[in-house]
Amino acid sequence: MTTAAKRIEIQSQKRLGALMRAHFLDLDEASRDPSRRVAWCTSVGPCEILTAMGFDVYFPENHGALLGARRVSHELIPRAVGAGYSAESCSYMTSDIGSTLAGVSPLTDAFGIAGPPKPDLLVYSTNQCREVQDWWNFYGRRDGIPVMGICPPGHLGEVTSEHVAFVSGRMQRMIEEIENKFALRMDYDRLSEVVALSSRASALWGSVLDTAKARPAAMTFFDGAIHMAPVILMRGSQTAIDYYKSLLTELSQRVENGIGAIPDERFRVYWDGMPIWPKVRELAEKFYDLRTVVAASTYCNSWAFDEFDGGDPLDWMARSSIELFINRDENTKQRFLAQMFDRFEIDGAIFHNARTCPNNTNSRFGMPQRIRAELDMPSLVIDGDLSDVRFFSTAQTMTNIEAFVEQLEERQR
Amino acid sequence: MSSPLYVGVDVGSSATKCIIIDKSATLVGHHVISSGFDYAEASEDVVRRALLQAEGEVEDVAACISTGYGREHVKIANKHVTEITCHARGARESYPEVRNIVDIGGQDTKVIRLSDTGRMVDYRMNAKCAAGTGTFLESTAHKLGLTIAELDDLAMSSKEQAVVNSYCTVFAGTEVIERIKSGQPREDISMGLFRSIATRVSEMIADPEGATALTGGVATHCRALLRALEEVLEVEIFLPPMPQHAGAYGAALLALKLQLAEKGADTPC
Ligand code: SF4
Repeated sequence: MTTAAKRIEIQSQKRLGALMRAHFLDLDEASRDPSRRVAWCTSVGPCEILTAMGFDVYFPENHGALLGARRVSHELIPRAVGAGYSAESCSYMTSDIGSTLAGVSPLTDAFGIAGPPKPDLLVYSTNQCREVQDWWNFYGRRDGIPVMGICPPGHLGEVTSEHVAFVSGRMQRMIEEIENKFALRMDYDRLSEVVALSSRASALWGSVLDTAKARPAAMTFFDGAIHMAPVILMRGSQTAIDYYKSLLTELSQRVENGIGAIPDERFRVYWDGMPIWPKVRELAEKFYDLRTVVAASTYCNSWAFDEFDGGDPLDWMARSSIELFINRDENTKQRFLAQMFDRFEIDGAIFHNARTCPNNTNSRFGMPQRIRAELDMPSLVIDGDLSDVRFFSTAQTMTNIEAFVEQLEERQR
Repeated sequence: MSSPLYVGVDVGSSATKCIIIDKSATLVGHHVISSGFDYAEASEDVVRRALLQAEGEVEDVAACISTGYGREHVKIANKHVTEITCHARGARESYPEVRNIVDIGGQDTKVIRLSDTGRMVDYRMNAKCAAGTGTFLESTAHKLGLTIAELDDLAMSSKEQAVVNSYCTVFAGTEVIERIKSGQPREDISMGLFRSIATRVSEMIADPEGATALTGGVATHCRALLRALEEVLEVEIFLPPMPQHAGAYGAALLALKLQLAEKGADTPC
């Protein structure tokens, strides 16, 4: 069963492929060039500090996602489990550690490089989860690389100026540590510049995602999961800004011309939680066949921050890093979801209960039940995982999704 | 050609069921066979046999809806619909007041919640695991050297029940051995297994308000399951006339509705 109308692909994707290639080749080059330094950073960590201090920044979570998307995680995770990392803990972490222990990487196939660039410094923030701390420490211990981290206050309701000052102070401390360790000096004007670039890319990314507000939606969550790469990997660069400007132009054109990601869209649903990387394509096809657009997601919106106002760059970074959805309490999360449902005219919400990422799973404290009762929003919880396909049942999930759309049909009658 | 027939085929992981109704929604034929490895063949076979009972021919089939795990393999189907919607439809037809439908199949267990107007408002499926499913019972019965029917007979004669805490098929097996070693009667241990399923099901019920129906293959063969569920959920549970066929029945009703809707007529269901 497929929809009759023809699918029109997003053209910018071709350009994205070339950008990614250049990005990874350059990182590979950096790791072999003694005059350059590579830092690894968590995806919503203080990467602007590293860029401003001249480091080339690599984001290991992307490697985890790639291992999942290439469907090799489940073959590599046992290596990490053997080394003492539980199969029930973050499968980005276990598949990444497993790939290191096995000496294989999807980056070889994709870009012809040996693997992730060798780090000089490992930097994390636990604003997303504690797992990253132990993930980075694995490499720190094993290869004797310095590990530096920020542990901001978590699960916040209101974000106060005290919270911001605390995190900004920790960032200042980290800068000093890096200065001492690597005999560098932070150029604060350069930091403001990088933060401005970072926030500009992030704001443009927000506008890109907003094109899914149109009916039909110009893009889906599955497109977003691909096109978000520059806002994570190339944050703080003009390249990311240029890419999103051209993507936004293309998508705005689609909106103007009434071209939808799903041409004869019937329903609009929301995706909460992590993508299921090994099954992204199958899921995208399933929703396409059901003429249901996944118009918005918590995941893609996690990199759409408020724009930098030109004030203290560390304050902006601190605020952005703790205002994140994942770092908030249930009530704040529920309010955010309610706003998203309104903005994107959502008919139903799907919660991905990711077995190895409780941090990015929001169905474990009654949220689906509350939004159903309080917002009259149909909800579905699907069990799966971000990377480890062994926690996923295709038949069961597809039946659940089909039944959910049947439920939406029934409501429409 | 005799009167038009409406066919529902439910291709489950263990059994394939077929229900045939006529235009007034009266049951005229039914059959169940093992699904085997070839779902297309099983569905053809089950329809042929049900048609024999209905004294009809394939040409008399006005509409067919397939459902279940192998729903996409039914060649004769005009449309496929999930077993969740079909079970809800089938159970509601047999028991209009029903609000919770518990369907225990070979590989999964579902709980479907209906609104007071019969609209599906929520449903849950067991997580990817045998806990709370027919497979759990089958496997544990097998370890005890019993068939499911024998396990059911034993459980029904239980006076006091032994507690089996584990949902996991493997752990439950170990627990059962421990109970045997501690001298607990086989009848009570058997009932404990059914209660373990009932407890698992109780976790899937968001709102116990209103009438509850039990459908699915396990319900057909196990009186002890009904008893365990009634005790754990503390409600009276309704068993439709052919619990294993509830999905196929719902599919047949939806086939009738589909055909009448295409003709623009009012639907009796
Ligand atoms: S947020 Fe989840 S997926 Fe991301 S690193 Fe932490 S545990 Fe892993």
